[in-house]
Amino acid sequence: MAKKGELLLEMNKVAKRFGGAIALKGTDLKIRSGEIHALLGENGAGKSTMLKILAGVHVNDGGTIKLGSKDFITGSPQQSIAQGIAVIYQEPSLFLDLSLAENVFIGRQPKKGAVIDWKFAQTEAARLFKELGVELDPKRQARGLSIADQQVVEIAKALSMNANIILMDEPTAALSASEVERLMTVMKSLKAANKAVIFVSHRLDEVFAISDYITVMRDGATVSENAVGDTNLQKVIKDMVGRELTELFPKTEHKIGEVVLEVNDLTNPAYFRNISFTVKKGEIVALAGLVGSGRSEVARAIFGIDKYESGTVKVKGEILPAGSPVIAMERKIALVPEDRRQQGLFMVAGVNRNISMESFAALTERGLINFKKEKSLTDTWKEKLSIKFANQSDPVDRLSGGNQQKTVLAKWLATDPDLLIVDEPTRGIDVATKAEVHRLVDKAAGEGKAVLMISSELPEVLGMADRIIVMREGKQVAELSRKEATQEKIIAAATTGKKSA
Amino acid sequence: MDFLRKLKPSSREGSLAIILIFAVGGTGLINPRFLTGDGTRDLFTSTSVVALLAIGIAPIVIMRHIDLSISSTVGLTAWVVADMCAKHPNFTWVECFIIGPVIGIAVGILNGLLVAGLRLPSLVVTLGTLYIVRGVVYVVSNSVDYNAQEMPPSLLDLGQKVFFGLLPFTFLLVIIAMLIMGYFMRYTKAGRDAYAIGSNPPAADLVGIKVFRRTFLAFVFSGFMAGLAGVFYLMRFAQVDSTAFYGQELAVVAAVVIGGVTIAGGSGTVVGAVIGALLVQTIQGGLAALGVDAFWKSAVNGLLLIIAIYADRRLAARNEQKLLAQRIRERV
Repeated sequence: MAKKGELLLEMNKVAKRFGGAIALKGTDLKIRSGEIHALLGENGAGKSTMLKILAGVHVNDGGTIKLGSKDFITGSPQQSIAQGIAVIYQEPSLFLDLSLAENVFIGRQPKKGAVIDWKFAQTEAARLFKELGVELDPKRQARGLSIADQQVVEIAKALSMNANIILMDEPTAALSASEVERLMTVMKSLKAANKAVIFVSHRLDEVFAISDYITVMRDGATVSENAVGDTNLQKVIKDMVGRELTELFPKTEHKIGEVVLEVNDLTNPAYFRNISFTVKKGEIVALAGLVGSGRSEVARAIFGIDKYESGTVKVKGEILPAGSPVIAMERKIALVPEDRRQQGLFMVAGVNRNISMESFAALTERGLINFKKEKSLTDTWKEKLSIKFANQSDPVDRLSGGNQQKTVLAKWLATDPDLLIVDEPTRGIDVATKAEVHRLVDKAAGEGKAVLMISSELPEVLGMADRIIVMREGKQVAELSRKEATQEKIIAAATTGKKSA
Repeated sequence: MDFLRKLKPSSREGSLAIILIFAVGGTGLINPRFLTGDGTRDLFTSTSVVALLAIGIAPIVIMRHIDLSISSTVGLTAWVVADMCAKHPNFTWVECFIIGPVIGIAVGILNGLLVAGLRLPSLVVTLGTLYIVRGVVYVVSNSVDYNAQEMPPSLLDLGQKVFFGLLPFTFLLVIIAMLIMGYFMRYTKAGRDAYAIGSNPPAADLVGIKVFRRTFLAFVFSGFMAGLAGVFYLMRFAQVDSTAFYGQELAVVAAVVIGGVTIAGGSGTVVGAVIGALLVQTIQGGLAALGVDAFWKSAVNGLLLIIAIYADRRLAARNEQKLLAQRIRERV
């Protein structure tokens, strides 16, 4: 085992290009054992490329990589694993049909003679889960595990292959506050075992809470590397965006008008009970709470995706029939879903097709689409939201996460809704784009739209909302005004159900 | 129905086996001959070609691929083996059991290189080789047919051989193949890798599974089994022309899917695939016993397939609910 503080990994001027595009032009990184090292940068800064080089998926075409005193051998995932590098990807890469024990040992199943030793695999997996403080049943199928538990399986996998260096790509992006806490405990125990943890995150509060070192990348190069004590939030953000970011939460005051959405006693026993609230014209109301507390389900019920058992939804005083997104859209409601890849976009379709998707009526003449109108619609929103893409017909798959999110927003803003529901609007997008999305949401409210925002990021909730409704296990436990809301109060309500800590 | 619940089959194969027993019993009620040694032997004989092919493609389907070329490969090997035997009267069953699989392996290598090597979609590749191989049969056969008199007597005798009065030699081989492959798929690294590849193909690359090698070998194995099935075909029918086994590939896929191998990959077993093949054949026998017109055969097969996929969907949904509940329990 490595001694604490020993240099485990040193990357020097590492470069990588894909065809004409330069992904990395000179990245330096130093990782010591027993440290948690945060890797920051905007989308497209080259973090993922760098992780993939270490993972053996890509081969660098310049620079040197050393593991301790030895040269790093690139080329295949197997080789990286053999050299003690484990990667936990943003989207956990578990095999849902297989058992947890099998997932831990996949590719390296323990053998007894020519066949697999299932018993050993199971006891060993159980031991690792216990070590990580999350006692999962190794015989259970991976299907149905929460993302947080899937990560635990991935970490157990990394431990089982004796990895010294554990890379995590945005491990907290889809986790709730309590799950993040659990993950941090696990990361600290890895650190205590003298492993090195490199993690990518867009949640800067977490980065400062847990890491020892912070390396910031921009445009494919390392901009700064600092011990966490030698830097601060402002500096880090400046390094990431290359300029001072004026404001992350550009909230402005708007005139608040009449009630647009009125939810009364809404109940779907499986997910939520007795939910009642209103959203007014020009107002941003946030639904806060842990992941799984039923917030998204409330939004889905309002929009008519799921049915509910009792209660009513009124839009501008009139009852909105349940169970029909078509009617909800006719009544000028828009829902930007939490998972843009699965629910918000047609990934292989062009940007233009995605933006115009819900505006067909306005683009058609005698039942046929007028592509000139589609083109100008796309241009309009490209400019309004400063979405970056080369051609209108580029598949959205090729855009960065931030630009994808803007495309979903554009699609719905193009329908000119009275009520805009946004579910985790800034998940997995970088800090500069986050600020832009916040500005767009604020602008929508300024134009007199009612906005219902679901967010797991407390700074976002506190920074943007006029009113905050906190949910816990399907129940509405608190309603806080902008003035009275604090991080502590929201966490207390979301975790204990009590109004104040 | 209470009785059914008490049986509580713990696996999908268990449930299928129970359904099979009911189907056999039901058919037996209508036609008692079905339950005799002769009836069982007939069921086994008529199932062995499809069952062998089902074992061959089950690993491929588990890997989220498909091999549609098998029926053409059966046709090719059956014709070529018969042709060589006709030209070499000294050939015995031994030569047949060598030539058939070798031809099958050749087709499997072609499929494997195209699918695993060039990463082309197997549905399209094997649809292509289905036509190519059948085309080759048409060309080389030149409308020549072969009958029993041109085939080695030792081969035909073997085809008639029955153990314990009900187990034909061909089905004995099916059972041996099933046991070996069942064990292989469950207990070896290669077998488990197949499930992983089908469950999450991009992740299989990332965890360092040798996807190329596994996929390639699965197609070679399927080719090998199709070659063997071509020899089985000769043993059963003792005649062959260029249209032998034409269009039967989907019957094999249907048997595999009815046997619980998910078309989306990642789950199912070869035992299930063989039971699926037997079930299809039994229900056909049952319909015949009921006096249902043979013209209905195809429609009933289709219905069975849809019922199977519906049952599968329901089971999967229930399983997902169960796992979700377990997760919630574990959290509390």
